[in-house]
Amino acid sequence: MIWLPVLGLLVGVAVGFVSNVQIPLAYSSYLSIAILAALDTVFGGIRASLEKAFDDAVFLSGFFFNTLVAALLAYIGVQLGVDLYLAAVVAFGVRLFQNIAVIRRIAWGKVGKRRGSQAGVKQM
Amino acid sequence: MTRTRVKLSLSLTVVSMVLGFMIALQYRGTAENRTSAAWSDADPDVRRLSSQVTALKEANAKAEHRLAQITAELSAYERRSAGRNAQLQALQRRLQAERILSGATPVTGPGIAVTLMDGQGADTEKVLTHDWDVRQVINELFTAGAEAVSINGYRVVATSGIYCTGPVVRINDHRIGAPFLIEAIGDPQALRSALETQGGILDALRARGLNVSDPQVETSITMPAFTSVPTSAGPPAGG
Repeated sequence: MIWLPVLGLLVGVAVGFVSNVQIPLAYSSYLSIAILAALDTVFGGIRASLEKAFDDAVFLSGFFFNTLVAALLAYIGVQLGVDLYLAAVVAFGVRLFQNIAVIRRIAWGKVGKRRGSQAGVKQM
Repeated sequence: MTRTRVKLSLSLTVVSMVLGFMIALQYRGTAENRTSAAWSDADPDVRRLSSQVTALKEANAKAEHRLAQITAELSAYERRSAGRNAQLQALQRRLQAERILSGATPVTGPGIAVTLMDGQGADTEKVLTHDWDVRQVINELFTAGAEAVSINGYRVVATSGIYCTGPVVRINDHRIGAPFLIEAIGDPQALRSALETQGGILDALRARGLNVSDPQVETSITMPAFTSVPTSAGPPAGG
C-alpha cells in the first residue's frame, strides 16, 4: 500500500519522458514553480497523514490549487516586473523544510517508541 | 481507519504521478537547454560548419592575394603595351594615377609611417585608440596630399569604412586591433609636418594619453591593392 505512491511517481516520470510534450523555454520557470508547490503539497500530505489529520479532499484540491496559483503568481510577477516567483520559492521552500522536519521528528519518535517498547518487552 | 489509509494512498498516488510527470518534463527541458546552450565541438554539424568557415576564409585570403598579383601584372602589361606612343603613355599615366587613387593597384613610393597605440591609464575611454582617432589621422594625411594610405596593411580608399565594433576597429570589413600602423605614400616632408603641427592631430592624441610614435620617413613603402568589396559606388575602376 505504501509503495503505490512511489509507483505512481515512477509512472509519471516514465510518461513524462516517453510523451512528446514540449515545454517552451519561456514557460519553464512557471513549471519549476509549480513543481515546487507540488512537492510542498506532497510533503504536507505525508505530514498530515502521520499526524492523523489527513483529508483527501483538502489534499487533492490543495495540490492542484497551489500548483496553479504558484504558476499564476509567477506569471503576474513577470507581467508586473516584480520577482513574485521569489516569494513563491521562499514560501514553499520554507514550508517544505518545515514539513520535512516535522515528518522526521514524527518518524524518529515512532522508531524510538518501538525500540522502547521492544526493550520493555525484553525487560519483562 | 482503513478507508482513510486507502484514500491517502490513492490520492498520494495520483498526486505523485502528476508530480513525476512535471518533473520529467522539466528535466527534459533543462537537459535540452544544456545541450543547446553548450555549443560543443562534439556536435558534427557545428564542426562541419566551422571547418567550412575556416576553409572559406583561407580560400578568400588566397584569392585576395592572387587578385593583388594579377592587378600588378596587368598594370605592368599596360605600361609595356603603351610603348613609345606619347599620347598612349600620357593616357596610361593618368589611368595609373586614377588607379592609385581608387586603390585598384598596388603602390610603391616614399612616405611616412606612424603607429597609434593604446596608452596606459585608468580611464579606458580616454587612452584607447578609437575608430575616430584613426579616421582623423587618415583624413589629415589625405588632406596633406597622401596618394595612398594603408592601416596595418589594409588599403584605405574612398569607400573604406573605419568604424568601431566593440573592442576592435573595422577597416574594409577586416577587424583590426591596436596598434595601428598607418602608412601613407606621398611627399614625406609635407605629410610629416601635417601630422606634427603644433597642436595638431598627433599632439591632441598624445595629450589624451595615447602612445603615438614619431612619424618615420620611409624611402619606399609598398602597399597592396584594395581587394575588398567596395561598400558602395560599384566596382573599382580598371581591371
